[in-house]
Amino acid sequence: MLGTLNQQPILYAAVLASVVPLIAFLLIMVVTRRRPRVSAGLSIVAITIAFACSVLLLVRYWGLAALLQVTGTWVTTGQFTVSIGFILDPLSLLMVTVVSGISLLVQVYSLGYMAGDPGFSRYYAYMSLFAWAMISLVLSPNLLQLYVFWELVGVSSYLLIGFWYEKFSASEAGKKAFVMTRLGDVAFLLGLLTLLIPLGNLDVLMLNSPDIGSTMPAGMLTLSALLIFGGVVGKSAQFPLLTWLPDAMEGPTPVSALLHSATMVAAGVFLFARIFPFFSQSPAAMTVFLAIGTISMLLAATMAMVARDIKQVWAYSTISQLGFMIMGLAAGGYVAGVFHLITHAGFKALLFLCAGVFIHVYDSNDMFEIGRQGGRRLKIPMACMIVGAAALSGLPPLSGFFSKEAIIGVLATQDNRLWLGAALVGVVLTAYYTFRLIFIMLFPSAGAPSPPPTSGHGHHGRDYWTMATPLLILAAVTLVLGFAQTPLTQFLLFGVDAGGDHGHGERGLLIAAIAGAVGGVLLAWFEFGRKGSPQIGFVERIPALATLFSERWYLDRIYRWLLDRVVYGVFSRLATWNDERIINDGVDAFSDRLVGSGRILATLHRGMIQYKLLVMFSVVALLGLYFFF
Amino acid sequence: MTVSFDHALVLAGALFIMGIFCVVVRRNLIMMLLGLEIMLNAASIALVGAALKWHHVEGQAIALFIMAVAATEVSIGLAMIVGFYRRTDTVDPNALEEFK
Repeated sequence: MLGTLNQQPILYAAVLASVVPLIAFLLIMVVTRRRPRVSAGLSIVAITIAFACSVLLLVRYWGLAALLQVTGTWVTTGQFTVSIGFILDPLSLLMVTVVSGISLLVQVYSLGYMAGDPGFSRYYAYMSLFAWAMISLVLSPNLLQLYVFWELVGVSSYLLIGFWYEKFSASEAGKKAFVMTRLGDVAFLLGLLTLLIPLGNLDVLMLNSPDIGSTMPAGMLTLSALLIFGGVVGKSAQFPLLTWLPDAMEGPTPVSALLHSATMVAAGVFLFARIFPFFSQSPAAMTVFLAIGTISMLLAATMAMVARDIKQVWAYSTISQLGFMIMGLAAGGYVAGVFHLITHAGFKALLFLCAGVFIHVYDSNDMFEIGRQGGRRLKIPMACMIVGAAALSGLPPLSGFFSKEAIIGVLATQDNRLWLGAALVGVVLTAYYTFRLIFIMLFPSAGAPSPPPTSGHGHHGRDYWTMATPLLILAAVTLVLGFAQTPLTQFLLFGVDAGGDHGHGERGLLIAAIAGAVGGVLLAWFEFGRKGSPQIGFVERIPALATLFSERWYLDRIYRWLLDRVVYGVFSRLATWNDERIINDGVDAFSDRLVGSGRILATLHRGMIQYKLLVMFSVVALLGLYFFF
Repeated sequence: MTVSFDHALVLAGALFIMGIFCVVVRRNLIMMLLGLEIMLNAASIALVGAALKWHHVEGQAIALFIMAVAATEVSIGLAMIVGFYRRTDTVDPNALEEFK
């Protein structure tokens, strides 16, 4: 391992990028907890180094022809080999740059957002922990190492959701997120075991080789693909494990921007892309994935149509967009899915960070409330939010347009037109709920009294600018990233010409997608934007539907019911009965006898235990001397 | 670079002796329990060192078992100490003499 590193010293940059945030985390936890400014500085310096390293690697290896892997063996036992190391290929290089770049921006933003919080140091420590885990996850060359960091990312998510742990709802949300993602992770682990037993190791390279299909039976392959996909479902909040993500919005807004939209939840999709060739060996599993992606996308989009809380809307739209990426990947569009993952990371972080500014200034999550208080006076966040929203809706020429177009192009190649239709409906719904939010905030209903400008919050103080700068950077990226589609495609395919992959030559499709997005925006304009508009969505005119959507399709109720009736009602009750009647009583009977005999024997050895121990140790030591020397 | 087996043994031995001292000398049940823990950890270090030397993973496996045993031992030991303290209002091992 060291040999390979020494041949190419630039590879040390990868090591550095993945280790520096860990060092920052440890230093903050151990040394600088009481000095918030130093902690923040440490964390930001660490993530800056990581970002610089990843940019360096990306530039150095731009256009590389074959992937690079540096591994050392960790444990060999029997026929299993576990290695550690890192892998550099276009996917991991791009992801590591995205992760460290957005982490850096979010950490700078947090300087303003979290200013004065009593847990300031703790916040930056967790952020560094997350950065370390996520960067290492992205660089993992085998699934076992990836799984370790996968769980670490889950832990940091739990810590950050419950960051304000004094708040009951926040600690509950953290628990819920942890338990629900665990449910998926158990499936993931089982999937890894079903692979490890026949194959002997879990290297990504081996899983992705084309002859994997001949090494194990097709049914087994499908089973392990489905089980591994369980992890994706949990982490990326897909149906049926999607309700943890909206609750996770209890955490600080920058956390939502970084973990619960741009990077951590995208880890699921990343895993999909990481072993994409393996998954594509099983067409049956791919169809299931396509269905799950579609269901999640549509369900979450309908939930977003009635939400009043800005962060909730973005949370639902995150689920929806992740579902969209999974649709693209499951339809065989590797590049399209990854490209949407990258553009989404940019514009969704932007949207959350903008929402954070409004929440910070107006102290409310409710979009109607912010609109009434004059949210549009905050020019920079408002403008950036519109840019992000347009990208999310897929309006040209923003980044989201290009990536959505790519996915729709891939879906159009499917024989079954159902998926394409669902995607187009998704585009309309997305544009509708996104611009519903924008119009509500831009054009509050005329009847409401406009309060005097609240200059007391210091909109243009230093905090404001530390928060506004990352917004501007992200907005600029969102504006230009779409035009990088062709070079990115070539890079992701190792310079091989894409051929059919970006074959979205169908002009009709392009027009349909744009028309869908514009239609959604117009509908939102008609209902929320125009003068004298009713400010009531068409969904809210049908109370049953509105309740269904705002109750999240009763998914939480169903889980509660299952928990109460099945888990607590049947399994727990049986287990409790077994505990009390058989184990408890059995142990009681046994220990009663034991206590009785113990009392008799206790008379022999009561007291002076240390002298007796001393004698015992000396005797053992002397015996040792006698036997060995 | 790997740590040599001798160094691992010296460290383990030193820890073990410190553990013995802690168990024998301290007049406090909690500290005695701590001493026991230190001795267990010393044994783990020796096992891991041996695993490294002979390239056998069994040593590490046993070290994991020791951790599990140590965890249960601490929970039971602490529970016993709490019970003891409730009945005698002290954690002095010598008070065991009156403890019936």
